[in-house]
Amino acid sequence: MLGLMTADFDFDLESTAPASKEELLGRVARGDEAAFGDLYDQMAPRVLGLVKRLLVDHAQSEEVTQEIFLEIWQSAARYEAARGGASTWILTMAHRRAVDRIRSSQAGRDRDTKIGIRDLAVAYDNVSETVETRIEHERVEKAMSRLTELQRQAISLAYYGGLSHSEVAERLQIPLGTVKTRLRDGMIRLRDELGVVS
Amino acid sequence: MTGPGNNRVDNGGENPGELSGAYALHALNPDEAAGYEAHLASSEQARIEAAELSDTAVALGLATAPVQPSAALKASLMARLSSTPQLPPLQAPADAPAVRAAPDAARTAAEAFAGPVTPLAAPSRGTATERARQRWFRGPVGLLMAAAAAAALFVGGAFVGQAFNSDQFQQQQAAGLAQINSAPDSKRASTTTADGHQATLVWSAERRLSALLVDDLPALPSDKDYQLWYIGGKGPVSAGTFDSSGTGTVWRVLDGSMTVGDLIGVTVEPKGGSTQPTTDPIVAIQSS
Repeated sequence: MLGLMTADFDFDLESTAPASKEELLGRVARGDEAAFGDLYDQMAPRVLGLVKRLLVDHAQSEEVTQEIFLEIWQSAARYEAARGGASTWILTMAHRRAVDRIRSSQAGRDRDTKIGIRDLAVAYDNVSETVETRIEHERVEKAMSRLTELQRQAISLAYYGGLSHSEVAERLQIPLGTVKTRLRDGMIRLRDELGVVS
Repeated sequence: MTGPGNNRVDNGGENPGELSGAYALHALNPDEAAGYEAHLASSEQARIEAAELSDTAVALGLATAPVQPSAALKASLMARLSSTPQLPPLQAPADAPAVRAAPDAARTAAEAFAGPVTPLAAPSRGTATERARQRWFRGPVGLLMAAAAAAALFVGGAFVGQAFNSDQFQQQQAAGLAQINSAPDSKRASTTTADGHQATLVWSAERRLSALLVDDLPALPSDKDYQLWYIGGKGPVSAGTFDSSGTGTVWRVLDGSMTVGDLIGVTVEPKGGSTQPTTDPIVAIQSS
């Protein structure tokens, strides 16, 4: 067991909400379909937003989102609250699933991977957003601006583009070892800027 | 493969700690990830870094713009739950947020859609041992849940009146909705009923399947049913009947085959349906 994790990454301002996501997940683990429905309502736009950022195609993104929520249903009992918030667990799973889809499909390979390096702000066009997503977005954008250009590019390509580190190396035409360093140093810098502490 | 000018990283894997960033970003291939996880098992320091960087990656995820999924996605998911077995905890949940509030029966009733279908997703990671442990487990608890879901169905679902004694019907319905929703050419059109309730038609032209979803459609007297119709050149053709509890989203996959351009209508008919509509449609949606 890791005795650490961020305090609260959600900024959901939901102290007045009837049940936290963690509570809902606990109920989902015991087969509570209504709790699953509530959790879905809270998290699905986040999950689909992230998946679609990687996959671009809407229909395919909904399909992967469906797989993700079925995995949440199946493995809710394996969520450990001590290791982090429910959103963290869910979004980590969502990102891995989206990446899996990209690596397993030609469609993924063919899509425009430039998507990974465009500015974060582009994704915010024509989107109705809540206060907390705007706050989080600005916080991350600010932290990203503290990275070197190459760190930022490598991280964006990997996280938002779903590229493997070898693919990042190929795209940026730098040695793989350098990519590893950039990814690590960049993520550590982001961690510090965002105040993610153990 | 390592560039000669690289002064910090040995790509031979002698310093696996260097992979923490790529690992957190899911940028490693499965072999590399397994190697890194082996490293984690031996280093508390590495585990802390991995956890922190993983949380940092989540912050990147939370910074993306939310996208609202279609109503059909939720309906399709809810329809799969009762037939998707849940995994037991990995170990005794010493500190898990265990037994808490009981399910809220009323909400369950309002929101449940049931119907056994083939499980779609399995966790995509895990060691062979873990996978072996993940054998689908359906004991008495699972059966109880299925029974509860079925009970909820009759209160809140779309099949009341039609689905008694008909698991197979529910199965077909759930599978049909899932097929539509996962079709590459899945489309939807929305309108409102005469009473102002949101109605959505989802369909796949390729699979010739369609389903109607209506929010909060009023319950009917016990001697009436809602009936679906394909309204094409040859006059109305029945596409099945359904009922509604009055709250939540009711949905019904249409019987028969849909052709793009068909107008889909709903009328109120005597229990069991009519051969031809006897009332004006409460809603009609064009599939195009």
